[in-house]
Amino acid sequence: MRRLRAWFSRLGAVFGRPRRERELSAEMESHLQLHIEDNLRAGMSPAGARREALMKLGGVEQTKENYRERRGLPIFETMWQDFRYGLRMLWKNSGFTATAILTLALGIGGNTAVFSVMNSVLLRNLPLPHPEQLMYLRLPNNQPSGASNTGDGDTSFSEPVFEQLRKERAAFSDLMAYVPLSIGKVAVRIGEDPEEAEGDMLSGNFFSGLGTAFARGRGFTIEDETGHAPLAVLSYAYWTGRFARNPSVLGQTIYVKGLPFTIIGVTTQGFYGVEPGASTDFWIPLQNRPELNAWGTPASGSTLYGSPTWWCLRLIGRLAPNVTPAQALATLDPGFQHAALIGLGTPDPKSRKNILALAPAKGIQGLREQYDQPIKILMAMVGLVLVIACANVAMLLVARNSARQREFSMRVALGAGPGRLLRQLLAESLLLVTSGAALGWLIAISASRALAAWSDLEVPFSLDANVLLFTLGISFACAVVFGVAPLRGAVNVPAGTVVKTSNAAAQRSKKSTWAGKVVVVVQMALCLILLVGAGLLVRSLRNYETLPLGLRTDGLLVFGTSPLTTHSDEEKARFYQNLLERLRAVPGVESATLMGNRLGSGWSDNNVFAIDGMLPTGSFDQIGVRSNDVGPNYFHTLGIPIMQGRDILDSDSHTAPKVVVVNETFVKRLLPKGDPLGHMIGGTKPEQMYAIVGVAADSKYTSVDEKPRSMAYIPFSQKRAVSDMQVELHTSGIPEALIPSVRAVLHDLDPNLPMQKPMTQRAQFDESFSQARLFARLSMFFGLIAALLVATGLYGTLAYRVSRRTPEIGVRMALGAQRSEVLWMVLRESLLISAVGLVVGVPLAIAGAQLMRSMLFGVMPGDSLSYVGGLLGVTLVALIASVIPARRAASVDPIVALRYE
Amino acid sequence: MGDKPADKKDVWQGTLALMVLKTLQSMGPLHGYGIARRIEQTSGDLLLVNYGTLYPALLKLEQEGYISSEWGFSDNNRKAKYYKLTRAGRKQLNKEEREWEQTTAILARFLAPGEERS
Repeated sequence: MRRLRAWFSRLGAVFGRPRRERELSAEMESHLQLHIEDNLRAGMSPAGARREALMKLGGVEQTKENYRERRGLPIFETMWQDFRYGLRMLWKNSGFTATAILTLALGIGGNTAVFSVMNSVLLRNLPLPHPEQLMYLRLPNNQPSGASNTGDGDTSFSEPVFEQLRKERAAFSDLMAYVPLSIGKVAVRIGEDPEEAEGDMLSGNFFSGLGTAFARGRGFTIEDETGHAPLAVLSYAYWTGRFARNPSVLGQTIYVKGLPFTIIGVTTQGFYGVEPGASTDFWIPLQNRPELNAWGTPASGSTLYGSPTWWCLRLIGRLAPNVTPAQALATLDPGFQHAALIGLGTPDPKSRKNILALAPAKGIQGLREQYDQPIKILMAMVGLVLVIACANVAMLLVARNSARQREFSMRVALGAGPGRLLRQLLAESLLLVTSGAALGWLIAISASRALAAWSDLEVPFSLDANVLLFTLGISFACAVVFGVAPLRGAVNVPAGTVVKTSNAAAQRSKKSTWAGKVVVVVQMALCLILLVGAGLLVRSLRNYETLPLGLRTDGLLVFGTSPLTTHSDEEKARFYQNLLERLRAVPGVESATLMGNRLGSGWSDNNVFAIDGMLPTGSFDQIGVRSNDVGPNYFHTLGIPIMQGRDILDSDSHTAPKVVVVNETFVKRLLPKGDPLGHMIGGTKPEQMYAIVGVAADSKYTSVDEKPRSMAYIPFSQKRAVSDMQVELHTSGIPEALIPSVRAVLHDLDPNLPMQKPMTQRAQFDESFSQARLFARLSMFFGLIAALLVATGLYGTLAYRVSRRTPEIGVRMALGAQRSEVLWMVLRESLLISAVGLVVGVPLAIAGAQLMRSMLFGVMPGDSLSYVGGLLGVTLVALIASVIPARRAASVDPIVALRYE
Repeated sequence: MGDKPADKKDVWQGTLALMVLKTLQSMGPLHGYGIARRIEQTSGDLLLVNYGTLYPALLKLEQEGYISSEWGFSDNNRKAKYYKLTRAGRKQLNKEEREWEQTTAILARFLAPGEERS
């Protein structure tokens, strides 16, 4: 207790030093005076009195030093001293300091930014209580045969399955269902003007089961679900963006597809729903009205909420306490097997088994699978950059420390122990790392924002505690790697030698230059890996950008729209036909058409078509047909050549004979013999058959990198159910310039009609390889940084060597060496280092490229151009970095150099 | 050992603090020089106080809260730092006095002319 008190008092004494020093001096002075007066009174001479007093005190300075040692905490004080001294030294060498800090900041900042993406996409739990209990339900084997499915094959469940599984309280304390109102956004209206928002329909226990908190109001109840209550909850982000956090939003009405919903709550900040990478704007209870059918799917007999065979619901469950996923599955499976077959009759015993699986709700589902490997590769790349950066700083420190040998040796001579010296250097390294990490954090904040924007991921990339820990971790690793390693040599300084010799050249050991060269060789090898990787990714991107799409790339504007008030298919078809006619009249529009799935968006319909009533046999890859519902003049508008027969026409209406256009791959795979025109494809019953009237050239559908597939283009008006369509306009002018006049046409038809995601068709296709673009850009960026760092590292090493060898060069030149020979001497050294680096680097780069295989498009991992480019790049960097030191060596004046000695 | 007055003893390690506390108890507030002189006088000038070690000892006692200090003026109007006992110091003094008495009593028994062993 007393000791603790004393310790705190001493800790306090570390500060306010000047005042305490003054007091100490005053006390010593008063002591001496009192003693002298006494002595005088005892009859001593003034000089004797003073001498005796000083002797009895045992020396003023010693006493003061003893006192000081007791007063503060010496270890803290020397540390404080070290830091202040370190700051002064770093400040004095501001060039060195700035380089070191910037290098570290780039390394640490880059790593932090990439890690923050990895954290959000792969690692982070949902921002909910006990996130580890949350499990997505999956269907690895897809839906049972015979069932209809909307959404993804492995995530869509039927209502009977949901009702069955939610009863199993032993497995899940809560099982929640959610389903989007549309593939993209849905038409909403809050005031007068129509707009779009992303909305989900939910089971009543969704919020309570997840444990979502509310900023305002409340969530839904089971009664809201069973009664399909017209209530809505907004996300915090939507509330902020659309309502400016107006508290009076509760009770207001939001019209979803023209139907009124009363806003009853706002979720807490940071809750974006549980969907992959999306940010849901609002939620409503599960609805059974055809207008609000799940996924925006046209409601027909089998695809309406409540239909037992329609699999469309996404499920997420919260495990009951102390239940493992395996136990939960064992509990759920019998009920699942039973419910899965409801409405499907007796199953064919040969058909595939239905499998239920659980996936932990971690990271971002969907994105996790898609981005897992690329992000790890990015992480590895940016990690290499950090290694190169650390090596640079280490070399800088080594060079600086050897330049400071005289200072160290002086300090050793003055009585500093090796420990004291080491502490001093550690303090300086720590200062460097701290500043580097702080600056790196700032870089990471903007870099991760840029990454989020580039990646087209609608993900909140926040720098959370995980990321902070990571940054601190790598900073600490940096401090250890480059802070301690190079100090050993510096500290083992014999006191005498350096003070004696004034010549810097005295401290040149073979070992230290050897180590420096090895570091540069390693850096070169790593740099080569990065440059080759960047080359491969940039070539992939180039392939994406230049690959022929098989259709017109310019002058196309695409947007989505859907009628809000029509119910029957005929009405809907009439609506679109009418819209097309009006749009064709808009000045600048050369032609207009429709399509069910927007090209380049990744969506497609996939089925097996019967040919003339016969189902083909073979693997799905071989017999599967992609299809799209299209409007009249589809091929003309998109510029896809018709090879045989005709385009879809206005006359191919609801009542006309059913027709279809197929592509060349379809003909090659499924109708290889004879004239394809006139064959009937589709279902096995006559009313489901379409007559082939044309063959079009192959063109891209879902994305740029898809392989050719058999394709069928069906007139939208002849389908049994008319879906929500995308409109495509061709103009000879700038596509975006059409937007205002198109909006006017839509408004004229119905003020509630939204114009969904208008953009050029080229931009839509570009989105399909945004990931490749992001990785190419990033890897290029990393490659550039690495090259820059290697260049500075090599430059530093060579410049240092040259300055050390100045006397030697002087002697050589005095003995008759030509300037060109000196130039070559330095260049040869750098080229030799580079050559070794490249020899080491090539096998590593080949190994690295193999890992990147999945990220490449149209390029082999052994792509020679990328390697040649990488090798040339590193050589160029080496040459540029060595020219300046080499020229400096060649310009050495022998007289000056020798006098220097 | 000898009993010549010139043969002065150094203060034993650890006893200085006790002497300081005792001195402050009997004399009231006192400055560093006064404490040192008082200890010497009390010992009949047999003890030699190294004045240089007194100040760190005073500082330690102050850090531990047994004494407190403030600036004041001496009899002949010289500015000096005066130390005085705190309540905790008084308690500590009592405790240490008891311990000291015990220790010396034990030692005395050892050093006293022993009884014959049977």
